[in-house]
Amino acid sequence: MSRRYDSRTTIFSPDGRLYQVEYALEAISHAGTAIGILAKDGIVLAAERKVTSKLLEQDTSAEKLYILNDNMICAVAGMTADANILINYARQAAQRYLLTYNEDIPCEQLVRRLCDLKQGYTQHGGLRPFGVSFIYAGWDPQRQFQLYLSNPSGNYGGWKATSSGANHASAQSLLKQDYKEDCTLKEACGMAVKVLSKTMDSTKLSSEKIEFATVGQTKDGKIYHKLWSAEEITALLKEHDLAKDETTEEK
Amino acid sequence: MDTLVARYSRPAYHQNEVFSEQEQQDLNDTVPSLKFAMPPVAHPSAWLRAATDDRSNPSCPIKIAHGTTTLAFRFQGGIIVATDSRATAGNWIASQTVKKVIEINSDLLGTMAGGAADCQYWLAWLGMQCRLHELRHKRRISVAAASKILANLVYQYKGMGLSMGTMCAGVTKEEGAALYYIDSDGTRLAGDLFCVGSGQTFAYGVLDSEYRWDLTTEEALELGSRSILAATHRDAYSGGFINLYHVKESGWEKHGFTDTNPVFWKTKLDKGEFSNVTSNFTE
Amino acid sequence: MEVLLGITGKDFTLIAASKAAMRGATILKVSDDKTRQLNKHTLMAFSGEAGDTVQFAEYIQANAQLYSMRNETDLSPSALANFVRGELASSLRSRKPYNVNLLLGGVDPITHKPSLYWLDYLASLAPVPYAAHGYAQYYCLSLLDKHHQPDISLERGMELLRLCADELKRRLPIDFKGLIVKVVTKDGIEVKPFDEDAVVRGT
Repeated sequence: MSRRYDSRTTIFSPDGRLYQVEYALEAISHAGTAIGILAKDGIVLAAERKVTSKLLEQDTSAEKLYILNDNMICAVAGMTADANILINYARQAAQRYLLTYNEDIPCEQLVRRLCDLKQGYTQHGGLRPFGVSFIYAGWDPQRQFQLYLSNPSGNYGGWKATSSGANHASAQSLLKQDYKEDCTLKEACGMAVKVLSKTMDSTKLSSEKIEFATVGQTKDGKIYHKLWSAEEITALLKEHDLAKDETTEEK
Repeated sequence: MDTLVARYSRPAYHQNEVFSEQEQQDLNDTVPSLKFAMPPVAHPSAWLRAATDDRSNPSCPIKIAHGTTTLAFRFQGGIIVATDSRATAGNWIASQTVKKVIEINSDLLGTMAGGAADCQYWLAWLGMQCRLHELRHKRRISVAAASKILANLVYQYKGMGLSMGTMCAGVTKEEGAALYYIDSDGTRLAGDLFCVGSGQTFAYGVLDSEYRWDLTTEEALELGSRSILAATHRDAYSGGFINLYHVKESGWEKHGFTDTNPVFWKTKLDKGEFSNVTSNFTE
Repeated sequence: MEVLLGITGKDFTLIAASKAAMRGATILKVSDDKTRQLNKHTLMAFSGEAGDTVQFAEYIQANAQLYSMRNETDLSPSALANFVRGELASSLRSRKPYNVNLLLGGVDPITHKPSLYWLDYLASLAPVPYAAHGYAQYYCLSLLDKHHQPDISLERGMELLRLCADELKRRLPIDFKGLIVKVVTKDGIEVKPFDEDAVVRGT
């Protein structure tokens, strides 16, 4: 019975559901976890990397974190190939705005542009929706630091801390428990690795298993974003005593 | 020969008229010394215009040097005369050190705007006429009379391509301080304040806003100089040096030939003027 | 002989435009308003080809308002100026370009910084502390070069405008029927009373 309704994105089932969209959401909940935490002086994004191999080139294959614009980065949960299409679209939209107005696109507008595209695929057009959720971290002069989450249906919302992907429900409750209003970026980074260590399968983390990025403000007021290097991630893990014991790894 | 005989055999009273026929005659084609060779074409003035009008035809074969700012104004202490010193031919800056104030004699000044050659030639010629007037009448020519000689002369050549905008300034016993504007259209105006040349509007802007009759001499000199500076800043065809004169009853007095560049920076940095010249507006 | 003037100061931008609407040798109207409000903090004054001016200004105005409705936020004066420049640039390369010169003044809704932009029909854009279009450039810029300072008060700004208006009345050969003056501050845009009967004596 349900087969009649779930093969097309554009058709509601008798009980008012869009099965393809729900399947897309389901696909995402198997992807690596991504979390974002908004601090008073910045935002941290952290993501679990599923494909790890010694043979993998470390720095050329950022899988989960992408720069969209000078004022915005995002974390991906879901199908990386789908994400690439959307990220390319977002980058173009941001540059087009810059060309038209000579200033950076406000964060929410960029999120909305992507979500409008995502929504389109739940109503008409292609065979399936984009199987990606994004966590966006950005800054604009009107609303300062902002954190958004969007999903394949084209819905989005602003958050203080949020998560997506595998175990996102437990990550969400951990964040709810640990989140402090007015925490600093440094504290938020610590919280991010702690939450990840609890939601990921292995308790001990390593730099090749996670990706890390921050958006912040320099002393002279400039906004920067940074994708962390393996060494920086290792240092952070060590500081919080979450690093995998390197001697055990060698065996 | 007949013309010469006729000229010197006229009754004496003719020669003693205020503006003697002689002077009038000088302007006529009958006098050999003032007969100009005309281009051998049907319409010399139209031909000249076609060959020299760089505004309507930027690639015209002859580019006449013009583009200027000159000003003069009357005030309680006499007359201030100030000019820039740039000569341009099309986009080319031909000179930055032109003397645009012509010292007709020790108490008469003329200014130069328009075609440089026209002005230089005819103001020198005017100087000659003024000297002849002195010799004939045993007294200095009035500014009114001198300016009228020039106005009548250029009017004779109207439509033939002369390009001049000049001011005559002088102080005489009879007239006091007198200032006249004469241009090659034949206009002659007496007045308190004139600016002439491509930069005239910029000079007027500054001059009008602070001009008063009871300016002190120092204030008047500063205002004249500042007005030329304003024009050299905004008008591409004005620049170089500020040539400043003060005309008073005892004759004219020169107040320097001053490079505009250091004056500009001093004005900007000391007084905070020219606030548009800044690197704050980069986008 | 349309007059457009703009002056910025410490916390305001003043925009003035002549009130005469001229067609050929006739003055059709003496209370013409050559400005359009784009949003709460941005005002645009225009001059140029009859018809083009109002059409273009209202097209920009509509787009600015559409943006405000869609995004629940106003475009900054800088963003608007760049948008207008873009529109003029694409118009310039079309079959029938808009022949419009503009001054765009405003106060940034977030930083409260005043700004003024000079645009011409060739789609040049320049941020400036004071500006003019048409013949007013020739008379007023040298005057403002001398008297303008970046941190002047609104009262001083109005004095400078008076100075410019007087000079134009004195020297422009055609009566432009006085100026309509508007001021943009962080609180919005308002019309400033500007004495139009003052007689200016020439020299």
